[in-house]
Amino acid sequence: MLGGVFHAATLFLVAAGLQLVFGVQRIVNLACGSFYALGAYFGFSVVTWALKGGMPQPLLLVALILGGLLLAAIGLVVERLLRFIYDRDESFQMLLTFALVLIFEDVIRFFWGTAPYQLGNLYLVYGRLQVGGLTIPVYNLLVIAAAAGIAVLMGWFLARTRAGRIVRATAENRAMSEALGVDMRRVYARVFTIGTALGTVGGALVVPATAAMHEMGIDLIVEAFAVVVIGGLGSMRGAFVGALTVGVLKAVAIATYPEIEMLAIYVIVIAVLVLRPAGLFGRATA
Amino acid sequence: METTRRKFLGLLGGAAAAGGLGTPRAHAQAGPIKIGVLPIKAGVGALPGEYGLRGTLWATERINAAGGILGRKIELLVEEESSPKDTVERFRKLALQNKVDVIVGVISTGVGLAIGPVAEELKMLWLSWDGTTQKGVEESMPKPKYSFRSVDNEAEAVMSSILTAKYFKGKFKTVAGLNPDYSYGRDNWAAFLAIMKKYKLGVTPVADLWPKLGTTDFTSHVAALQQAKPDLIFSSLWAADVSIFLKQAHAVGLTANTKLVFPVAGLVHETLKKAFTPEGMILGYNSMYFDMPKPSPLLQQFTKDHQEKYKEWPSYESDHAYFVIAAYKAAVEKAAKASGGKWPSTDQIIQALEGVEVESLSGTRRYREDHIMEANFYQGITTHKNKYDFVTIDPLEVMSTKQIQKPSGMGLYEWIESWKV
Repeated sequence: MLGGVFHAATLFLVAAGLQLVFGVQRIVNLACGSFYALGAYFGFSVVTWALKGGMPQPLLLVALILGGLLLAAIGLVVERLLRFIYDRDESFQMLLTFALVLIFEDVIRFFWGTAPYQLGNLYLVYGRLQVGGLTIPVYNLLVIAAAAGIAVLMGWFLARTRAGRIVRATAENRAMSEALGVDMRRVYARVFTIGTALGTVGGALVVPATAAMHEMGIDLIVEAFAVVVIGGLGSMRGAFVGALTVGVLKAVAIATYPEIEMLAIYVIVIAVLVLRPAGLFGRATA
Repeated sequence: METTRRKFLGLLGGAAAAGGLGTPRAHAQAGPIKIGVLPIKAGVGALPGEYGLRGTLWATERINAAGGILGRKIELLVEEESSPKDTVERFRKLALQNKVDVIVGVISTGVGLAIGPVAEELKMLWLSWDGTTQKGVEESMPKPKYSFRSVDNEAEAVMSSILTAKYFKGKFKTVAGLNPDYSYGRDNWAAFLAIMKKYKLGVTPVADLWPKLGTTDFTSHVAALQQAKPDLIFSSLWAADVSIFLKQAHAVGLTANTKLVFPVAGLVHETLKKAFTPEGMILGYNSMYFDMPKPSPLLQQFTKDHQEKYKEWPSYESDHAYFVIAAYKAAVEKAAKASGGKWPSTDQIIQALEGVEVESLSGTRRYREDHIMEANFYQGITTHKNKYDFVTIDPLEVMSTKQIQKPSGMGLYEWIESWKV
């Protein structure tokens, strides 16, 4: 179960990035998976570099989150590129963001090569917890807590802050908010960068427990889409519930009947598509 | 009639050929030998692909430095192995457009199955590095002429199973499988179970998990294994996923009391850090072990050059790749000797390749008459007593494919059934 929640935590971050960007900018950003992979590689490099510079090991989590946030600056560059296609057909947007996926894969190969990277045993720097015969690495709990924290923070930002209200207003009605004097360019750049940060931080956070490798991005995109379909496109709460559903379902399937690991997820996806095409928390669009 | 661009180019080409270059054949013999290379460059397979390419480059540099093959230098044309369809296209391009003399490479069985018939159709000599699952050999390529295949993919699982019986007999009752979800993983697990049965070890499988190739998060699998509590885990994972699994398994204490059998994880041996990889597990390095107690001068040189150039200790796919180039050279020289020093025809080279024996990085290797490789395999018990930050093996076990690969014309299970144990 807990294994599933850990997976769900990272899945949530990536899916949330996807949701935010789609909700506001109406762009299906396939490159969210690349941000995740880039975040993992960059997180690895930042931590290795910081440790060499004398950073005490327990600061690992801080270094990873900072690394992820720092890398989110590429979101600004990518957003600049996407400006050309905001008014184009969705298929163009998908094509462009998919091209970005391929480009980023080569960027990773250029800077880090083909070999996977991992942070040795830093994973256990926070120790292990014994709970009723089960051993749980504390790091897993910290990642879950961090993801939950980010979820709360996002909720607060969107619901309570002025900037968040503007973002929601833009998502609701772009033309009206523009007419009311909202600088659309700034909102878009900001939203996209936050969306990017969700992916890069997510990627950075999983490195100690797993490894940085090329294909991690592509794999996650597929699952993130399942999350989005279940939760409803554009909904934050949907991303949260969808990620939990996919993560836990996967864990239960592996423990009981491993053959249906993938099937189980897509059965739910199909069920949602048939019974509630807009997703659990999505709004039906006319 | 109008002269079209194509016709014009055709005329040009004809004029060039007629204009003093002599026959194309003679021209080809004077220039460099063109070798097409097909390594995987993206995805999980990029790792062995890279090692294969390194072995090819090293072999080529050495041969060229020593004057080439019969005085002709080798020129490599590196393309890429990806999907079967695209790779077939590149194979055709190398054969028809670049007019290469031989094509080496291909690691995936799926791609290999697609290339096989094309090699026959184009009469293009192809020396595969890897990718030889049972289906690939038995059903789809019964008697190839132009394809030379690798060792059976199950050879390492067979060896690990024999070692499991040797080292762990009587010490385990329940087993779990954790194998990548494609033909290779499935075949390995089936071979392991068949051999356990053959040795009458009375084991019960309590879990068989099939993570997707290249899985990056095993927390759910680890949880399932904790629940199933097997005495022994057999896993033919071979990529970055090995270390991820071991790290996550170690984190929850799963590796402390469970026996582990990893027939092929030696491909990524440097990622198996001591911090989370236990001593006492069975670990396989396929056909090349970089840390031999008494390495051959060839292996010693390769390991040294590899470490200097790439800051890494080499891995086995380099040996498959080195072998095919060395075998090609030996076959050409052998065939030329028989035909009075002239550059041999493809048919003559094929004939010379059958049964050819050369020194490779792993010791002496050869091609069987049915175009399957023979080699030594290296496996052993992991130890932390070394100068590295990752595990190595001691004791080291060496087995020849004569012992762990089914003989020509026999099915795998039929062969296992025929063992006397």
